[in-house]
Amino acid sequence: MEIVVCVKPVPDPETRLRVGADGTSVDIEGVKFVLAGYDESAVEQALLLKEATPGSKVHVVSAGPAPRTEEVLRASLALGCDTATWVETPPAVSPDPVSAARALARAVAATPHDLVLCGKQAGDDEAGLVPAALAELLGIPDFSLVVDLRWDAAASRLRFQRSTETGLERWEVSPPCVIALQQAWNDPRTAKLPAILKSRKLPIAKVPPDAGAVPTGASRAAKFELPPPRTGAKMIEFKTPEEAAQKLVQLLKEEAKVFP
Amino acid sequence: MTAATLVVGEAHDGSLSGATREALTVARAVTAPGDVVGFLAGPAARSAAADFGRFGVARVYFAEDPKLDGATHSVSAHLAAAAAEDAGANLIVVGGTALGRDIVARLATRWNAAVATGVTSLVRAGEALEVRRPVFGGRATETRRLEGPHAAVAVRPHAFAAAPEAPVAPSLSAVALDRVPAALWVPKRLGIEVTARGGGPSLGDASIVVSGGRGGRAAENFHLVEELAASLGAAGGASRAVTDAGWRPATFQVGQTGKTVSPQLYVAVGISGAIQHLVGMVSSRTIVAINSDASAPIFKVADYGIVGDLFQILPALTAEIRRVRGQ
Repeated sequence: MEIVVCVKPVPDPETRLRVGADGTSVDIEGVKFVLAGYDESAVEQALLLKEATPGSKVHVVSAGPAPRTEEVLRASLALGCDTATWVETPPAVSPDPVSAARALARAVAATPHDLVLCGKQAGDDEAGLVPAALAELLGIPDFSLVVDLRWDAAASRLRFQRSTETGLERWEVSPPCVIALQQAWNDPRTAKLPAILKSRKLPIAKVPPDAGAVPTGASRAAKFELPPPRTGAKMIEFKTPEEAAQKLVQLLKEEAKVFP
Repeated sequence: MTAATLVVGEAHDGSLSGATREALTVARAVTAPGDVVGFLAGPAARSAAADFGRFGVARVYFAEDPKLDGATHSVSAHLAAAAAEDAGANLIVVGGTALGRDIVARLATRWNAAVATGVTSLVRAGEALEVRRPVFGGRATETRRLEGPHAAVAVRPHAFAAAPEAPVAPSLSAVALDRVPAALWVPKRLGIEVTARGGGPSLGDASIVVSGGRGGRAAENFHLVEELAASLGAAGGASRAVTDAGWRPATFQVGQTGKTVSPQLYVAVGISGAIQHLVGMVSSRTIVAINSDASAPIFKVADYGIVGDLFQILPALTAEIRRVRGQ
């Protein structure tokens, strides 16, 4: 099976956020970028499928600016992906979700794909739009909220479950399709040092962004704000558990007004 | 602007979902009266679509067919696009569900339109629309201008009040299924297992969430967290430590690698407050932390804190809530 996994570099979740000089975006000066959390799980899922299906390959693709996009592609190669493709977009700003999907669609279309795996959303813009947008561009179905994904090689079918608002759905699907993984139920592996060193020298295929594509610049960042620092909790003083309970319920009712 | 706004609906047991009613509230705020149009697809869509009338929507489109039971989101998105064309809609507003998000992704791509998900505010700003939405797991907020002839917006769950009842008799127009590309009908849903949730709401949907952490010490103590959740009508959640330990299934996990929730009230019990967890719940409106360790980082983001033994506090709190709610 040919598996494509889409990844995105995002600021390390431990990063302390700052507002950029233009006031419309996050300040990325000196910020460390890492593979988005859900994407890390998508890479792990791709590698698990590959290991369970002899003769499979995992192709990692990403769309974004240098150098961070190349870094997450190399990190994915170090984890065990077989090939990497990079659609380099203009510097500094990460492309908006639909532009990213357009760029990724070019890379995916140029790569053999029975299955396109994505994380459900990235921890920076939290948009969650790329999987369905990518499927629309590729003209194939997409499935969100997917857990427990398996490949039935004999029947050439993907089998998986969707964890929806109402319960678990079981699906059987012929390739190709796009799958957005709901969450990290797997425990992503970490790369070993020799693999990291080797990944630095592996080739990365480059696909230019589509110069003829109409930019989806219709969504423009206007402001980026950080919340006022939380002042810390109002601590409830009490002598007995019952007193703590009464005081808390009273505050929730009368002050926070969240409790009827 | 005289063009229509299309709200793509979802129904549970024949009634419009809370998420759809929230989307109606948002659509109304930026649309001339009478120009909010409803759409709903499904095996029994006609009667469910008519429920839009209960909330004052006079023009409603629907796509009804038995084979829509088990159709993919891709199919729903194409039917919604057809309804938008028929209605002359240039703005699509959907509830903050997986279906809603997949629909706006496909529509925005088709129309090359501006799109935003997780929206907590939508206003007109001249010719454009302006949205606000939490980013970085709720650690920041961005404002975006959506420009161009079309836009698609998915609202954030619980960020808006549900549209109130204001019944009208709606006109119903059918959307034909042949407007969906054949390739999108292929996948086969084998079955559904409705998850046993102990009667409570689902994590993503709930307006109150009670989560337990490692402070519970063992799986068999988790009933204390669940009894508190039940007294509040809340969904149960858990920290990663709990799901990793197998005390609760992974579907309970709130956090960076689990679900992101933004309820009206989030109660964190025995959760220290690692960043991994905080990014999944920090945008909750009111946060209560109960922990035996006064220096736990959870107290920095909480609104109310109780330092104490959860084995004593939880039963007292559950009893107090039952008492004031007359249970």
